[in-house]
Amino acid sequence: MTAAVELLDVRKSYGGYAAVDGISFAIPPAHIFGLLGPNGAGKTSTIRMMIGITSPDSGSVRLFGEPLRRRALRRVGYLPEERGLYRRMTVGANLIFLGQLAGLSVATSKQRIDTWTKRLGIADWVERRVEELSKGMQQKIQFIAALLHDPELIVMDEPFAGLDPVNTMQLKDVLVALRAAGKSLLFSTHRMDQVEKLCDSICLINRGKAVLQGSLSEVKAGNGRRFVQIDYEGDGACLAGHPLIDSLNDYGNHAELRLKPGADSQEVLRTAMHGLRVIRFQVMDPSLEQIFIERIARRDD
Amino acid sequence: MTEFSLRKVWIIAKREYLERVRTRSFMLSTFATPFLMGMFLVLPTLITASTARNIVRDNDRPARIVIASDNVPLAELASGELARQQGSHYVTSVISPLSAAKRDELDQQLDASAIEGYVWVDARALESRRVDFVTRRIGDFVLQRRLGDALSYAFAAQRMVTQGRNARDVAEILQPVELAPIRAGNSSSAFNEVRGAVVVFILLFVMLFSLLSYGVMVMRSVMEEKSSRITEVLMCAASAQELMTGKILGTGSVGLTQIGVWLAMAGFGASRSLYLRTAMTALEVGPSVIVYFVIFYVLGYLLYSAVFAGVGAIFNSIDEAQQWNFVVILPLIAASAMILPVATASDSALSVVASMIPFCSPILMFERLAVHTPPVWQIALSFSLLIGTICAAMFVSGRIYRTGVLMYGKRPTIRELSRWLVHA
Repeated sequence: MTAAVELLDVRKSYGGYAAVDGISFAIPPAHIFGLLGPNGAGKTSTIRMMIGITSPDSGSVRLFGEPLRRRALRRVGYLPEERGLYRRMTVGANLIFLGQLAGLSVATSKQRIDTWTKRLGIADWVERRVEELSKGMQQKIQFIAALLHDPELIVMDEPFAGLDPVNTMQLKDVLVALRAAGKSLLFSTHRMDQVEKLCDSICLINRGKAVLQGSLSEVKAGNGRRFVQIDYEGDGACLAGHPLIDSLNDYGNHAELRLKPGADSQEVLRTAMHGLRVIRFQVMDPSLEQIFIERIARRDD
Repeated sequence: MTEFSLRKVWIIAKREYLERVRTRSFMLSTFATPFLMGMFLVLPTLITASTARNIVRDNDRPARIVIASDNVPLAELASGELARQQGSHYVTSVISPLSAAKRDELDQQLDASAIEGYVWVDARALESRRVDFVTRRIGDFVLQRRLGDALSYAFAAQRMVTQGRNARDVAEILQPVELAPIRAGNSSSAFNEVRGAVVVFILLFVMLFSLLSYGVMVMRSVMEEKSSRITEVLMCAASAQELMTGKILGTGSVGLTQIGVWLAMAGFGASRSLYLRTAMTALEVGPSVIVYFVIFYVLGYLLYSAVFAGVGAIFNSIDEAQQWNFVVILPLIAASAMILPVATASDSALSVVASMIPFCSPILMFERLAVHTPPVWQIALSFSLLIGTICAAMFVSGRIYRTGVLMYGKRPTIRELSRWLVHA
């Protein structure tokens, strides 16, 4: 199956600073892809090259199996990080304008605006000016603007920013439905909990380079099961200074610890059983957030 | 990537146009400006007329002027001439001979408002033809001009009388001559120079004002889209060239609409009111002047809006752009300073050169064309320079725009700007 978008060793620098430094990934249809990274990592620069706003210094961007051309951008929807709407125009006028630019007729635009605003529960707001709307409401409008021309690839920069839990759920449902309809979705974020629930695969970038990438389960497995929780009775001090333990958080009868890379958790269990009465010993999946912090922090040291 | 879709340009221009035409400020400036302009024209005349009346009447009390001189015949000639002037309402008295005590006395009378002023014509004044006029009405230029005329007359007349001429002959000899200019090729109608110039000045003022306000409008619009990140969404759907072209055309059409409304108002007024029609015929605004005006307005707008679009793309806010704005506006200020010199000496070397400089030529070449017809080569040269500069400005601004609208935060250095120009 042809990937909706494919980046191959893409590089872009601004005045000697490498904003994007050799990024490669591909997003197949019916797939949600998470582009992660701290602020200034190069997420927006990467996105801009995917949607033809800028072109890479080297490497290639392919959309729907062909080198990027303007025409292909009709099949792409883009939701920017900040709301890009005309504040003094009405919601409807904004959406019709953007729909027309994306190649729709006014009639089709109107019809789709009607469907989407009803689906997201904001049909009453179509005649209002954008400046009268709350931030979250504007985000929904922006979201509709990105989807109006029924794109096959949807690129979203921080789509959940500024949304309350109810709206977040609503948006998440739409994203899942889009994936079910065979669309490719990419979103950039630093909110790991959403990525963990939604994404099929991720790419973690820092300083323009991919630090970690692959499917969610691969990434987690690749980062080992290195987090251990122990409920115990006795003196936890016997764990301190263990050669296989990287860090230890001892609460007196509960301890959370991180193993050194490559360490065998069974080894630690044996030590614990030797000195303590172990009530519970659990090896945890690392959360994406832990991986994120660990990877980025390690690079920065 | 370099596809250029006219449909997208049209959509962008249409939005820009409709949004701007619907604003209250557009309505206000379109319909209020003609009235303000009328006031602007009528007020000075009203004020002058009323001051003139006040000088003459001053609560129905005539202005009391003393002419002090050792030369009594001269003083009397001046006094008589002042009294003879049309619509004058002065009471003059002559004092002779001169002394320091007399002057003190006159100063006291001035302080007590017993007189409005006195003229001190002593021996030195007679020789140097420079006369002191001591008055509290230092801003009363009508009185001063009349008094000056009267004294000039008196000086000349007195000299001639002493040379043995008869006083009546002298009065006849010194009768002022009235000048009646007649436009070449149209000997039947007398050209009223002042009125003709007024129309050209109004058109020039409209051009300056429009170039500036619509240029700035393009800049603000670019900045607004940049700071609200709309550009990012738009750039995904349209190219930078399409965006900039649409914006410039849309905003420019607003300006043309406004000027069209003004012309239509003038035309309608002329068709309904005989008074206005006669006034306009007298003003000698031929259709050719209007055609020149529209052509030069469009060209001037294209040039300035291109530059302003570039400036808008560089900066993040109006405040930041302020000082650079000034640089862009400078040629307009220079051109407005040249309006009078060009009107009086339309073929001087300075006028010719100034009307060639592209950033000034929309105003000054139009003015020269309106005042009289410059040689064809000059018109052609001015046109080609202007159009060449427009193309260059569009190219440079397009490059800066493409990169600048996506750059936030720090203001770029000149070095970075030049890199934007070179890079694709």
